[in-house]
Amino acid sequence: MDWGSILGIALFRSGLAFAMPTALAAVGETVGERAGVLNLGLEGMMLSGALAGFLGDYWTGSVVVGVLAAVGCGIALAAITATLSVVLKTEQVINGIALVIFAQGMSQFVYEQLFGQGSHAPVVQPLPDIRIPGLGSIPGLGPILFNQNALFYLSLVLSLSVWLLVYRTRFGLTLRAVGEAPAAADAAGLHVDRVRWMALLVCGAMAGLGGMVLSVGDLSLFTADVTAGRGWVAIALVIFGRWNPLFVLGGALLFGLTDALQIQIQATSGGINSSIPYEAFQALPYLLTIVVMVIVTIRSRRDAQPAALGVPFLKEVQD
Amino acid sequence: MSGNRTWEQPAPVVAAEEKEPIVAAPWLRRRWVRAWGSSIGATVSALLVGGLLIRAAGGRPLSAYRDLLSGAVGSNYAIGQLLVLAVPLLIIGLGLSLAFRGRVWNIGAEGQLYIGALACGSLAIGLPLHTGWLLMGLGLVAAIIGGAMWGGLVGALRAQWGVNEIITSLLLNYVGIFLFDYVIRVPLRDPAASSLEGKSVPGIAQLPQLPSFYIHVGIFIAAALVPVLAYVMRRTPFGFRVRMLGLNPEAARTAGVATKRLIMNLMVISGGLAGLAGGIQVLGVAFRLDPTISQNYGYTAIIVALLGRLSALGTLFAAIFIAGLTVGGQAMSVTDSLPYSLVSAIEGIFVVFLLIANRFIRA
Repeated sequence: MDWGSILGIALFRSGLAFAMPTALAAVGETVGERAGVLNLGLEGMMLSGALAGFLGDYWTGSVVVGVLAAVGCGIALAAITATLSVVLKTEQVINGIALVIFAQGMSQFVYEQLFGQGSHAPVVQPLPDIRIPGLGSIPGLGPILFNQNALFYLSLVLSLSVWLLVYRTRFGLTLRAVGEAPAAADAAGLHVDRVRWMALLVCGAMAGLGGMVLSVGDLSLFTADVTAGRGWVAIALVIFGRWNPLFVLGGALLFGLTDALQIQIQATSGGINSSIPYEAFQALPYLLTIVVMVIVTIRSRRDAQPAALGVPFLKEVQD
Repeated sequence: MSGNRTWEQPAPVVAAEEKEPIVAAPWLRRRWVRAWGSSIGATVSALLVGGLLIRAAGGRPLSAYRDLLSGAVGSNYAIGQLLVLAVPLLIIGLGLSLAFRGRVWNIGAEGQLYIGALACGSLAIGLPLHTGWLLMGLGLVAAIIGGAMWGGLVGALRAQWGVNEIITSLLLNYVGIFLFDYVIRVPLRDPAASSLEGKSVPGIAQLPQLPSFYIHVGIFIAAALVPVLAYVMRRTPFGFRVRMLGLNPEAARTAGVATKRLIMNLMVISGGLAGLAGGIQVLGVAFRLDPTISQNYGYTAIIVALLGRLSALGTLFAAIFIAGLTVGGQAMSVTDSLPYSLVSAIEGIFVVFLLIANRFIRA
């Protein structure tokens, strides 16, 4: 096997591109979990965002409309989650699983209703790569980081700015207080449930956008299983990144690279004729996520986890 | 003490929830009235919204639902189809109900089913035995062991190091299905089949069918499991410990419950039952290692367990109801030329309503 041709610039470039959907969702989930809400519906939010963004782009030919549709759809699903988890205070784990089932059923229905089950899947125009002047000509880094499409830049900037949001803004401080010590935050005059609502909406918006970056930005099409578990991987990455948006983003990049690597190896090793079954490569990103999560869980104590994660805030108890 | 390292979330403070229900009418205060009422309310609401979807898809809701009903129970054949589908949903749903009671969130039933199917099918294809019942029995035992190991892996990680079982079990679904795909593509591929199919199991290993209802004897296994699980959940120390674990793991541990072993057991049992469902699908329905052996049964069974309110009897009714909705929905989509995924959409809406309704049981 020729490793030189595998580990090329193209690999890193597509690895980063494939990392962005997961990165957006994972960083969004970090915001939600920092406020103390466990949102397991991420996969469903990504999937619906992927469809909404695809439809917006497909019908109007405008990426901007697609982005707005994807973000709007993610926010709508987040509102359902917030109603269940924050207002009605039902079991957050079940809410998340239910939301995924809901989103899968609905998006499949909408897509099939619009395009039928035919073999000709509609596609959108692939987004043009934008070469950033100056930075794009840095050897090595330039073609990898600064010669991607608009959605890539948007994702990268958004993911990075979440770190600022969490650690350098008033809202971020509120967020962390609510996730760590909701009773104290409440006593200090913060509206715990309102902050959790906001955090969930941010999470939904980012997950929805992440789905669109996948369907429109990376693949130019939508399928019923386009997200293929990326939402769940994203939740694992939050644990991997120890609830710090920067580390979470780093984990997502690692995952994207593995994904690109397995596709590349599959291609160079001859696909179905390869001596190593290609299913092994397909399973690789999932196995790697599990292994990494196990290692991180064993090595790190849970002190990084927000103390009130998954616990509904009941104001009556505090009186 | 490893308490701070595990995934277990502190249970929400229950005391605040147990204030008197606000509802006035005395009959509404009865718990079972509210329990059944909320399930029925969720069902009716979901069917109403489903009617809107049928409208949106260009169908007529009333006649569509009539076709759904006759597609589910309108003939012996339809009832047979319904029961055949209810078997895996019920078997998996029972295991999930038990695990969910302990707040052990196994959402990897789909992968456990495929591994069980793989173990059972490989054995039935490969073993040079000529005694049908022995081959069947060994196949189903292999299915249980396969699923139990796939689930047990998750349980061991959770019990030993507190690794989040939700994510590992879900991600292992993909790994399990890739493994299945590999086996039927290379070692156990059926060269005679036009599309990608695994080999078929010998006729002697296939589960006998009941003549007039087009259904295999696996239904008796499923039916027998209901009282067993009901007994285990409600009348045994094990079932009691599971409930303790679900209500407050910290208190359960203090009271002397070996929570780690319990978590492990719950994953092994629910995984084993999902594996059994896979084995029954191979020997009773597909008769071969079929890549489409499960139509997301592992996920649908989550709805079944929730709708059944995590009780064995409830899961039985829920499995029959969801199976009827699915089988009838297939017939409806053909008769009324509606998208097949309409049923998935209605089921999805149904789950959300169910959660909202469940909230009002606690009032």
